[in-house]
Amino acid sequence: MTLLKKLKSIIAAGAVLAAGVAQAEEPVRIGYSMSLTGLFAQAAPSQVNAYELWEDQVNAAGGLDVGGVKRPVEFVTYDDQSNPANAVRIYEKLITEDKVDLLAAPWSTPIHLALAPILSRHKFPMVGNTAASVQLREVAPGYIWFPTAVIPDKVGEELAAFMKSKGVTSAAILSNVLPLSQEIKSFLVPALEKQGIAVPVNENYPPDIKDLTTLLTQTNESGADAVIMLSYPSDSFLFAAQAKELGVKAPFVLSLIGATFGSYQQALGESVNNIVTVGHWSPNQAAWPKAKPFFDAYKAKYNEAPDALDSALAYMSMEILQQAVATAGLDKEKIREAVSTMTFDTINGPIKFEGVQNTMTPTSFLQIQDGSLELVWPDSVKTKDFRPKTGW
Amino acid sequence: MTKLNLDIIGGPLLVLAGLALPFAGADYLMGIAFNLAMWIALTQSWSILSAMTGYVSLGHVVFCGIGSYVFILTNGTLPMPVALACAGLAAGVMALVIGLPVLRVRGPYFVILTFGLAELAKNVIVQIETSLGQFSRLIFDAPALDTLYFIMFGLAVASTAAAVLVRHSKLGRGLVAIRENEEAAEAIGVPVTRLKLIAFVVAAIIPGIVGGVLLLRTSYFEAAQAFDPVISFSIVTMAIVGGMGTVRGPILGSLAFVLLSELLWARFPQLYMIILGALLILFILFMPRGLSGLFERREARR
Repeated sequence: MTLLKKLKSIIAAGAVLAAGVAQAEEPVRIGYSMSLTGLFAQAAPSQVNAYELWEDQVNAAGGLDVGGVKRPVEFVTYDDQSNPANAVRIYEKLITEDKVDLLAAPWSTPIHLALAPILSRHKFPMVGNTAASVQLREVAPGYIWFPTAVIPDKVGEELAAFMKSKGVTSAAILSNVLPLSQEIKSFLVPALEKQGIAVPVNENYPPDIKDLTTLLTQTNESGADAVIMLSYPSDSFLFAAQAKELGVKAPFVLSLIGATFGSYQQALGESVNNIVTVGHWSPNQAAWPKAKPFFDAYKAKYNEAPDALDSALAYMSMEILQQAVATAGLDKEKIREAVSTMTFDTINGPIKFEGVQNTMTPTSFLQIQDGSLELVWPDSVKTKDFRPKTGW
Repeated sequence: MTKLNLDIIGGPLLVLAGLALPFAGADYLMGIAFNLAMWIALTQSWSILSAMTGYVSLGHVVFCGIGSYVFILTNGTLPMPVALACAGLAAGVMALVIGLPVLRVRGPYFVILTFGLAELAKNVIVQIETSLGQFSRLIFDAPALDTLYFIMFGLAVASTAAAVLVRHSKLGRGLVAIRENEEAAEAIGVPVTRLKLIAFVVAAIIPGIVGGVLLLRTSYFEAAQAFDPVISFSIVTMAIVGGMGTVRGPILGSLAFVLLSELLWARFPQLYMIILGALLILFILFMPRGLSGLFERREARR
């Protein structure tokens, strides 16, 4: 780890020299805490990898543009053990003890929400990323922003419209009891009803489920032509494996979180072809010229595809911060002003905030198509047409 | 005599240091002190039942969880201090209701049962929240850290005072008799069931309030986190490290644990839990009476 860091700083130093900067500038220090251990540990790499790729790229380009002066960047990081109370303490430490110049976001909705009051109190802006809940809108606008387009009420509404347009008439819903799944379900069920789609199966299951056989058999027997699996990563993997064994026949299959991981396709291969999932970024959207280069750089560095949700969001949040700092410098109030008003050019196309929310990116759906993640809904951003799932 | 001297000097000194701390103006330091006060309050309250009677509970978090749930339901409709009182009251009532059946079993069965009950309570609340269509709840306009710190500090003092009072009362002597030999105690007329139940209820109230204050700190409620079993495990760990024989034990244990983890997590994020685990093993092997045992040995030698 330290060797890698050293190597990085040597490369960074080399880049600075090559750029012809006469004197070495003080690095800009960016603090964040990450759930490296504990409940959410599985999700950390998607986000940390994106941060470190961004760091490499910025340093290789001569540094971060701070209101016209280029300065190298370095991260100050801690492990919050997936615990919001720890994260609160860590960000207080980053702000008051370590006196970092900028902040990057932690993982998960609870930790983002727990940090909002701390940021307001210290008047320290932070661009969030991996948080998704209707409750985000209740956060007082000011020092935190959420670029995600995965907001449960919109997801429910759009998913129902998407299913209707593909001729779905009945849907089986299986849902983890964890918050995001339940939140989406609470908006999805009424939306389906409104679209005239029947819900013959509607079941919850615990987060640590080890066997879905009974639920999947029930689903098969119901004859529903859509299976909506509101799953978290570990049950997404379990679902794909068992759906194959039991021969789930529905032509429309959605799996919530996990299907965008690089490892998902690596582990499950052909069988997950044509699975639909939630996400608003694809490397194949030609209208976003930065998308494909990000994908390629990530793949070259880590030898796997970036997570279309978390890695993309994490990288976007750094792009937003980078562009804000280029105009505003490191003054916290000026950064806040810049993030609140500017339109940002990111790998996910243009982004602009109104209050705490990104209002530019539409709520979209992705489909795994022959090893690639394609946007299939809505029509305004789609990269490929939806394909029914024909087998596992 | 010397022991008393140490407590007479050390106790007020700690209280003074605690009261003066917010005026240092360092949020980070206050954050650590908040944590320290929280652990003292929790471990001290735990020791009222578990260290005194030997009924080791692995489910102390259940009272925190109930407290924070009641707090989030009542806060807003009721003024914050009243909501906090409700949280403590609810935890006490919960102890009263589950106490009678739970306190009938002993030894490892009690340990497992308390752990199981905490998990059960967690899952029940998750189900309730799900059926209410609530997935997590937010608190707005939580008071600033210094206010929260003073409340938590008050809870630490209160729970230490409660531990002292219980220890020096008839109730405490009855509880020790239960620990040493429950049948014998019962035979000579100690009302064992009643005493255990009283201790259980007393031990539950403070963690209930702590649960509410903790929620104000993170401003976010989610059942799985409010009932995190790691809290129960940490309490037992601190009690063991501090020593279960005295009121000092939980204070020393919490101090050691909080300061050590503060030193370790920033420097050795990967190794931090391993080092803590190794220390716990060393303590159990070589210092079964914990840090307070160390003090007592020194005092005895003098």
